Amino acid sequence: MLVISDLSARVAGKEILNGVNLEVNAGEVHAIMGPNGSGKSTLAQVLAGREDYEVTRGSVTFEGQDLLAMRAEERARAGLFLGFQYPVEIPGVNNVYLLKAALNAKRKAAGEPEVDAYEFLALIRQKMKFMQMSESFLTRGVNEGFSGGEKKRNEVLQMLVLEPKLAILDETDSGLDIDALKVVSTGVNSLRDPKRAVVLVTHYQRLLDYVIPDQVHVLSGGRIVKSGDKSLAQELERRGYDWVQGAQVA
Amino acid sequence: MSAALRSFEAQWRARTADALQPVREQAMQRFLKLGLPTLRDETWRYTDLRSLAAQSFEAAPCETRGAVDPAASLSLVDADQHAATVSLINGCLPPNVEKTLINGIEISSIKRLSQSDPKLMARFFPPATDADQRRWVLLNTALFVDGLYLKITRQVTQPLVILHVSTGERAHEAAHPRIIIDAAPGSSATIIEHHVSHGDIAPLNNSNTHISLGMDAQLEHYRVYATGAGASHLDSLDIHQAHGSQCRQFTIALGGGLVRSSLEAHLNEPGASLDSYSLLVGHEDRHVDCVNIVTHAAPNTRSRQTARAIASDVSRVIFNSKVIVNAGAAGSDSQQSCRGLLLSPSAEIDTRPQLEIHADEVKCAHGATTGRLDPDMLFYLLSRGLDRETAQSLLVYAFLADVLTGMSVSSARAAIENALINQLPDSQILRKFR
Repeated sequence: MLVISDLSARVAGKEILNGVNLEVNAGEVHAIMGPNGSGKSTLAQVLAGREDYEVTRGSVTFEGQDLLAMRAEERARAGLFLGFQYPVEIPGVNNVYLLKAALNAKRKAAGEPEVDAYEFLALIRQKMKFMQMSESFLTRGVNEGFSGGEKKRNEVLQMLVLEPKLAILDETDSGLDIDALKVVSTGVNSLRDPKRAVVLVTHYQRLLDYVIPDQVHVLSGGRIVKSGDKSLAQELERRGYDWVQGAQVA
Repeated sequence: MSAALRSFEAQWRARTADALQPVREQAMQRFLKLGLPTLRDETWRYTDLRSLAAQSFEAAPCETRGAVDPAASLSLVDADQHAATVSLINGCLPPNVEKTLINGIEISSIKRLSQSDPKLMARFFPPATDADQRRWVLLNTALFVDGLYLKITRQVTQPLVILHVSTGERAHEAAHPRIIIDAAPGSSATIIEHHVSHGDIAPLNNSNTHISLGMDAQLEHYRVYATGAGASHLDSLDIHQAHGSQCRQFTIALGGGLVRSSLEAHLNEPGASLDSYSLLVGHEDRHVDCVNIVTHAAPNTRSRQTARAIASDVSRVIFNSKVIVNAGAAGSDSQQSCRGLLLSPSAEIDTRPQLEIHADEVKCAHGATTGRLDPDMLFYLLSRGLDRETAQSLLVYAFLADVLTGMSVSSARAAIENALINQLPDSQILRKFR
């Protein structure tokens, strides 16, 4: 589904990604772990199409298409979803409006008719209940005045409504208490499907207790320096990132 | 002496004297002495009147050529609000306004009142002094044909619309509309001044509105400039507030090639409170210059100024606000918030919030930011699949929300929103958000 080859990118003139190679197949959950500043968020943003992040080398294909040639909105409509580490607040733009516009943009691209307003509201209510979100969400601006946990729930809610083929969740677990973490994990697990894939970008291992990954990769210095199964995450938790960074030098 | 000044002097000489003659005389002398404002005048540094000064003006006619097209005005009120409308053509009163009572608001002619109740009118026409620097108000006092005096004596729920129609026969005409709103203690009302133009030629519109709020009076006041690109507005608004009075004021600049709009508020007694909202939209090559001066003259007074400026194409929008806290006005509480949004690289927005504090124990905050659309917000919307035009329009729409949501007349809000949308890029898309 997603093939990243030798991807390098820079942000504000600074080289952040340095030859990333990664292959994610349909039905798989991958975790990308790494210390702060290793390039995890940059990788997520580059995949989602952030324009001020400059790709200097390499290629990315998504279902055989050249992902890097697509604009951010085209990637989203093709089924790629980024859950933001820091979801931005947009006062004056209603949550429901955004969700509806997003869903319709995707449907339009797929040649499907726009969603019926009544059915849409029913769908939202159902997903909100699943994510244990309060009714007030419906009338508020996008992430406006939301707590950190509410913002992350909103990211997962958007994901559930849009049903992406590939979800990239950038530190969706950070800043969550244990109850919120469980709700978010249930949301992510509900999307697991032989036709979809999930990439979890995370600093800590604890999310991986709830969403069990098929593969774990360690990103360090802008490259994947180690890959393994879920036991790698546990080992990292025990031994710390110095262990892999040391391995990289050696 | 500039051509404009000479022509105004000629108009002054040609008119017949009335009961306000002494006040008018003083105002005219002071105006001629000062001349037109230039870029050297602190509050005029952004608006160049040189081409205006080179023109000769004649008095604008008091009637229109043909009927005024109702579609030219915005539907600021709904039929079910039972709002009344008084139309002024180039500042001239409709015939037969003697003393009418509409929805509990007494409407009189200033000229007639200055004969029948000179003492009352003297309150609103103090003699010009050497300190008086407001040239266009002085000129208005000297040359206004007649004006409307509105007396609010009770709590009025129906909005009153004053429709200012600007219409001309020849280029280079000038009109001087004058309005006095006098709210008795404990009264409340909503008054909407709606400026429209009729036909292709619009006179220079030098209007002045004076608002006086008695103890605990409440007023929601709108001034909406919705004239064509050929119209020029030099509009001044003076607000005087007594004990516990509350004023909510909306200045909405949607039209007019040149809009120079000033607001001077005087919070004269404790508990007076002012909320001023400005929505200033520049597009094409329009010039919108808004100056607010709020004086806290008594303790425990409160003011809020919220301004949103949008400039596209090669337009220029200026918002200058100043809060003055007089000595002794302890406990004054003021906030100034101005945000500008540039939609084209050739557009310009200038904002300058200022504070002048002569008292201790005051709470005064101000902030001003101007920029383009937030790239993080834009990327967020794009990453959800919205196309670029929709995402940008949505953010523009959101930017306006702070002012629009403050309006309590929902019909006015809807009509203003609609008119705003028409002027912004991608209006087709913006319409969907409503």
